[in-house]
Amino acid sequence: MAENKSINQKITELDTAVNWFYSDDFSLDQAAEKYKSTIKLAKDIQKDLETLKNKIEVIDKDFSKD
Amino acid sequence: MDTDTAPKFSVSEFLEVCNQTLEYSFSSVIIEGEVSSFKINQGKWVFFDLKDDNSSVSCFIPLFQLRTPIEDGMKILVRGTPKVTPWGRFSFTVRQIMPVGEGNIKKSFELLKKKLAKEGLFDPLKKRSIPDNLTKIGVISSTGAAGYADFCKIINARWGGLEIQVCHTQVQGMIAPEQIIRALKYLNERTEVQIIAIIRGGGSADDLACFNDELLTREIAASRIPVITGIGHEVDESLADLAADICASTPSNCAEMLSKDRRLELKNISDTIKHLKTALYQQIDTENSKLAHHITSINSTFRKQIDLYNYQTNEKIRAFRQKIDEQIHQTSSKLESNIKIIESFNPDLVLSR
Repeated sequence: MAENKSINQKITELDTAVNWFYSDDFSLDQAAEKYKSTIKLAKDIQKDLETLKNKIEVIDKDFSKD
Repeated sequence: MDTDTAPKFSVSEFLEVCNQTLEYSFSSVIIEGEVSSFKINQGKWVFFDLKDDNSSVSCFIPLFQLRTPIEDGMKILVRGTPKVTPWGRFSFTVRQIMPVGEGNIKKSFELLKKKLAKEGLFDPLKKRSIPDNLTKIGVISSTGAAGYADFCKIINARWGGLEIQVCHTQVQGMIAPEQIIRALKYLNERTEVQIIAIIRGGGSADDLACFNDELLTREIAASRIPVITGIGHEVDESLADLAADICASTPSNCAEMLSKDRRLELKNISDTIKHLKTALYQQIDTENSKLAHHITSINSTFRKQIDLYNYQTNEKIRAFRQKIDEQIHQTSSKLESNIKIIESFNPDLVLSR
């Protein structure tokens, strides 16, 4: 599923994950796991940003006719 | 005359053949000239003459097809078909009109702007913003135009992962508005794009005049999907710009508005990773401080309990000693008293008395 997320969705997810570390919900028990998954997400986004290209498709339709 | 091989017609047949010949030869022609004797009959039919220095032609167009305001003295281009009326009058049936020259374009622009503004087409309260999480963009432009190339170059350099569907249309001349309208309808009805960008690079007032078309302006204002325009240069303003939800100053600016800067975002991600470590260490420090505080608190409570216990024990010992001392004292007193009594009964003492 994670592969289907857009960069923007991943960035939003990263913001939420980072905010957890500053929030009252923070707990040491979960911190190590959360830290690992957040860093992985950040690295994924970095990779996406460096490699993803836009897909430009010219629609096959003649707009000079109805 | 009877043996003449020349074709013979009734009047109606002759006019019909004339019209067929005209339609075959000039099914769609463009004429440039100056408007004179402009009038609207019965609120439905528009008549005017199109003239130059030597000639004049009568023109006709239904009012609902008049997409650009015109008035006497304006120089315009008309597209249409010549026709001979049933009364034998030569007329030109106009399908499209476009003003020519900066002054005429400006005049027509102001007239139509006033009319459409009155209808609320440019109402700022109706403007929508660029959707969040933008992934699907529709573009209407000429794929061979420099403005389109600028748009693609900038958006590809700035961001990735976008799906861009492009409708190739003319973006200049009399046929452009109709094509752009068709593309707008297509994107609204047949695709899932989140925003539509109408792109056209810089040009003269004549080049950009198609973006002042009334039907195109109405179609943009009525679009279900938000529309952003990137037409011409910063100084250019068209009715399409006014009707759009967002107006970018140029195609490049439009690309910038529709995309984030990936270099900036990469820097943000690096900063996030650094800050995350700091945040984690801070939270661990906070938890350590809390723990130390708890330990100090437990020590303090425990010390108080021991002190209280010591005090209570010492008090008990002191009370016990006091009681023992009192009992010893009482016993001693009693013993002394008894000794005195016994001594009083000493026979030696009695005899000596």
